[in-house]
Amino acid sequence: MKTAVMKTRPFAKKRTSRTFFHYNLMVGIGLLWLIFFNIVPMFGIIIAFEDYNPIQGLWGSEFVGLEHFEYLFSMSDSRRVIVNTLVIAVSKLILNIIVPLAFALLLNEVRQLRFKKFVQTIVYLPHFLSWVILASVLLEIFGYRGVFNALLSVFGVEGKIWFSEESCFRQLVIFSDVWKEFGFNAVIYLAALTGISPDLYEAAAIDGCGRLKAVWHITLPGIASTIVVMAILGLGNVLNAGFDQIFNLYSPLVYSTGDILDTWVYRMGLLNVQFSLATAAGLFKSAISFLLIVISYVVAYKAADYRIF
Amino acid sequence: MIQGKTLGNRIFRIFNTILMLILTLSCLYPLWYTFCLSISDKAAANSGMVTLYPIGFSLASYQEIMGDLQFFRSFLISAERTVLGTLVTILILAIFAYPLSRPSSEYRPKNVLMWLVVFCMLFNGGTIPWYITMVNYGLIDSMAGLILCGGVPVFNLILLINFYRGLPRELLEAAQIDGAGVWTILFRVVIPCSVPILATLVLFTSVGYWNEYFQGLVLSSNESHYPLQTYIKQMVVNIQTTNLSMDQIEKMDKLSNKSLNAAKVFIAMIPMLVVYPFLQKYFITGIMLGAVKE
Amino acid sequence: MKAKKCMALLLAASLTASLFSACGKTDNGSTSANSGSDSTSAESAGSDKENTNDGGDPAFQKFPEVVEVHIGQGVSTTDSLPEGLSVENNQYTDYLLENFNIKVVVDWTAASGNDYNQKVALCIASNTLPDAMTVSREYMIKAANAGQLYDITDLFQEMQSDQVKEVMDSTGGQAIEESSVNGRQYAIPAVEVETAGVQVINIRQDWLEEYGLEAPKTLEDVENIAKVFAEKKPAGEDTVPIAGPDKSTNSYTNFLQTGTTTCGFDAVFSANDAYPGIFLKDEDGTITYGTNSDETRKTLELLADWYDKGYIDPEMGTRDSSIELINSGKVGMFFGAWWMIGYGIGDAYRNEPDANWQSYPILTDDSKWNVKLGSATTGYCVINKNVSEDVAKAIIIMANVLLRDESKFDVSEQPLSYWPVRTLMAPADECEYTYHELIKVLDGTASVEDYQGVSTAYKLLSNDVEVVKDTIPGYETGKQLSISDFSTENFGNFQRMYSLMIGDRPYATTPVEKEVRSCIFNQTETMEKKWANLWSMENEMVMKIITGKSDISAYDEFVENWMNEGGSDILEEVAQAQ
Repeated sequence: MKTAVMKTRPFAKKRTSRTFFHYNLMVGIGLLWLIFFNIVPMFGIIIAFEDYNPIQGLWGSEFVGLEHFEYLFSMSDSRRVIVNTLVIAVSKLILNIIVPLAFALLLNEVRQLRFKKFVQTIVYLPHFLSWVILASVLLEIFGYRGVFNALLSVFGVEGKIWFSEESCFRQLVIFSDVWKEFGFNAVIYLAALTGISPDLYEAAAIDGCGRLKAVWHITLPGIASTIVVMAILGLGNVLNAGFDQIFNLYSPLVYSTGDILDTWVYRMGLLNVQFSLATAAGLFKSAISFLLIVISYVVAYKAADYRIF
Repeated sequence: MIQGKTLGNRIFRIFNTILMLILTLSCLYPLWYTFCLSISDKAAANSGMVTLYPIGFSLASYQEIMGDLQFFRSFLISAERTVLGTLVTILILAIFAYPLSRPSSEYRPKNVLMWLVVFCMLFNGGTIPWYITMVNYGLIDSMAGLILCGGVPVFNLILLINFYRGLPRELLEAAQIDGAGVWTILFRVVIPCSVPILATLVLFTSVGYWNEYFQGLVLSSNESHYPLQTYIKQMVVNIQTTNLSMDQIEKMDKLSNKSLNAAKVFIAMIPMLVVYPFLQKYFITGIMLGAVKE
Repeated sequence: MKAKKCMALLLAASLTASLFSACGKTDNGSTSANSGSDSTSAESAGSDKENTNDGGDPAFQKFPEVVEVHIGQGVSTTDSLPEGLSVENNQYTDYLLENFNIKVVVDWTAASGNDYNQKVALCIASNTLPDAMTVSREYMIKAANAGQLYDITDLFQEMQSDQVKEVMDSTGGQAIEESSVNGRQYAIPAVEVETAGVQVINIRQDWLEEYGLEAPKTLEDVENIAKVFAEKKPAGEDTVPIAGPDKSTNSYTNFLQTGTTTCGFDAVFSANDAYPGIFLKDEDGTITYGTNSDETRKTLELLADWYDKGYIDPEMGTRDSSIELINSGKVGMFFGAWWMIGYGIGDAYRNEPDANWQSYPILTDDSKWNVKLGSATTGYCVINKNVSEDVAKAIIIMANVLLRDESKFDVSEQPLSYWPVRTLMAPADECEYTYHELIKVLDGTASVEDYQGVSTAYKLLSNDVEVVKDTIPGYETGKQLSISDFSTENFGNFQRMYSLMIGDRPYATTPVEKEVRSCIFNQTETMEKKWANLWSMENEMVMKIITGKSDISAYDEFVENWMNEGGSDILEEVAQAQ
């Protein structure tokens, strides 16, 4: 390659060294940012392996090996937290594929273009609002004096503070996340749908193929690879149940069903001052996620020929 | 047969339209509800009477906000952070991504750098080491801190690199033959060709900056340095009436003013609502190009 | 304008008042106290002697030069300051600067609660503590163990005012002990009244009278009354004889908690000589955990029996708020601290103005009153290890001044929560003392004037004696007070007086046979990791047994699991800590 380039251009050598210099310059600024703000803080991971004492600092604290990890796994708390995390994250993963897909298919059936455009624009809306804001609104709507209870009272159902109910919290979290993201997640499917040739549908219609059948035999196979890729990429997020969302919605009343790894780490580290234990739990999560991401990318590459880097 | 089919079609159409309407309304409702609360009478808002439309029309909340210095300060901090932060981030990313998008034969350190970048995407040290580092840099209460503290948005960087890599090779080669330097190629050829992805990243980045609250809280020594979301986060106090202590009972009368809070939340929603419809056509293509390559 | 002038007058008045009280104290011949501070105040003595405390008492000395104290401050989102004022610039900081040359610099603020705690944790983690901040117990211990805190063991003894000492002594040394780590004092404690940990039974006297019943003395009486209430249903079909804990409260307190539970059953346990949730040391020094005792088991069976018979709220543990239930007038009896009956259930009187709630102690079968008490302190003002001695002194002086002058400030516009690093201090016996003094005033054996201008640690007393006669117009010597004797015109005064005179009557007048405190009030190493877990396991077990979802064998199972999952280590550690 390189020799080929040199052969074709007389000034190649001079040019390459100058280009190399400028490339370095280009990388330089970004790299500084990366080093100072991504990599330097990363050394803090060693806290997980020591009995961190703030006065002695990162490098002076006593080294205790895997003690914090051992304890982490012996706690019945951690079992609960991991179960919650998995239940919430996996449900979100699945529903965040199915619901947007269904929505995209249905929206695709809408023939009035202006209405379609309008719907599409509006359903993106929640995606752009922060959980701080949405949580404040949702807690209001599902609160004791909220709209939801007012609606229920019409049917004679007793009102509750819904986000404080152990038995409802998970469902509400999953539901509200799916609701927030379905419009935005549908973008990809909608775009993939436009890639299917209309000729296929026409041919199907001529063959007397019903709407459902057409969806089953033409639409779904047409966007199957997209669905597979989305599902596989989601795997890497199995331990991300959504800190921002849950942190803004939960309360001690629902720890038993709503506490996830990230919120637990937050409380352990910042409210219970167990710096080392929290860092250990965070590292555990990073490690598992790392593994899952590697697996999912390999699978994505093998199964759908999709490569991210 | 045909008769039944068209009838079925019609029914399906109607139901589908209704369903779409319901979904659309459900996405609009929080916005509408907040707006109604904000222009309702304080008493009506607090007692939970407002559901579908404003009750006891009153602009008192907005008048009160007009006099609320802290709210404006936070709004300005967020605005500055979003605009500056997005500019800086996109500029750095646009430049940073270019050498990394070249084949390693042209820029040899590329592979090492890519591994570093990917590693940074997957690991982080957690909040505490991160905070200690920020304190050591002296970034408490500073705009630079609010903009830089999150580190390089690595995922966005990778999207951009992927996009650059997908640009037609002939385009760059033609420019090279014309004797253009790397900077010229980047700014005259690569960036103009990457408008969809850059617009998408502008949207993602600005939404990220505007909606961020946690760093804003941790890196500020007091309320006057809070970005808007942090301000709202601590304003909406989740008072648990079941856990009464003497102190709290005395404060029960001072329960927060829902109408005023709603007005603040509503104003915080506006910038994003205004911006995203304009960038819509870009992010649809941008997401497709960056995420799913066939 | 006018309001400001009034404020100024008030301030001036309070200044002169404090001047007099300080003079009075030095006259009483405290020659030993001023030797140390004479040299420091010598330079300033000439210029502004007339408007300071004369420097004789180190507890209230004015520094010759301005001493800057950097603090971290929690601010309440519901209390705000008037325009133009800030946490750094308000009547309290002005007062400290003017009279003591203490300049308060606020390094950071955060909303009280989690935001504040998070800030504290980050300060500790990054070793960037301000000079002073108030923290809760686990933070204090963490920072002390890391060596980040100023050892105030000796300085505090030297600098504390007489009133502060009075408060500390009223806890019998417990307050100092709780703010110490490994025998050294690292914090100025906030002290809570002792009676906050004492649980009494509150009962609808009007219902008792309706059925000709006597006030309860023992658990048997409670059971008999509950039986009658359950049968006669005075509040209709859904009458609840005894309210139970709701979903955010527990059945009893543990050793980490200060107050007692609301609608929990601590009093029932104590009457059976059972003290669950706390660590006990018997005569020969053996450490046991109160939950793991036959008495606790017996009491749980009793409560399960009561629940089964419908005496206890069938929805206990799942209700949003037991207090709402009480306020709605459906409840005949509930357990709580002294303040519940007045402050806690204000709406009950608004809904039903002649609901005659009365408080009584529950005695053992042989008529003794056993009382389970909580920890004495609720918060800790910690000082950075690296500050100069003057700054450390200044911080102690601030605590002294707060206790002495708190009642002199007008708090209507500038809430007391803006006092820099506020440590609330109340003498342990404040309520009982106030009770007896108020009785004297009502009986006419003492006059209102007797209490004015007297500087004591009982800071609310002078205000209480002023309003007591108007609030209880129906008082007659020797007659038990009832709701009809009170005026609810000023509802705040009514709530305080009802709490004091009825709610605290048991603790003020009934002799206590046995005061039981946990032998440890902080977490040991293993507890730091495992306590939260064990405690939630325990709560679940108790709730299930009482409500009949498990039978008593779940208790035996729990005891076994408790020991295996860290309990035995904890007991060993507690024994070592003694």
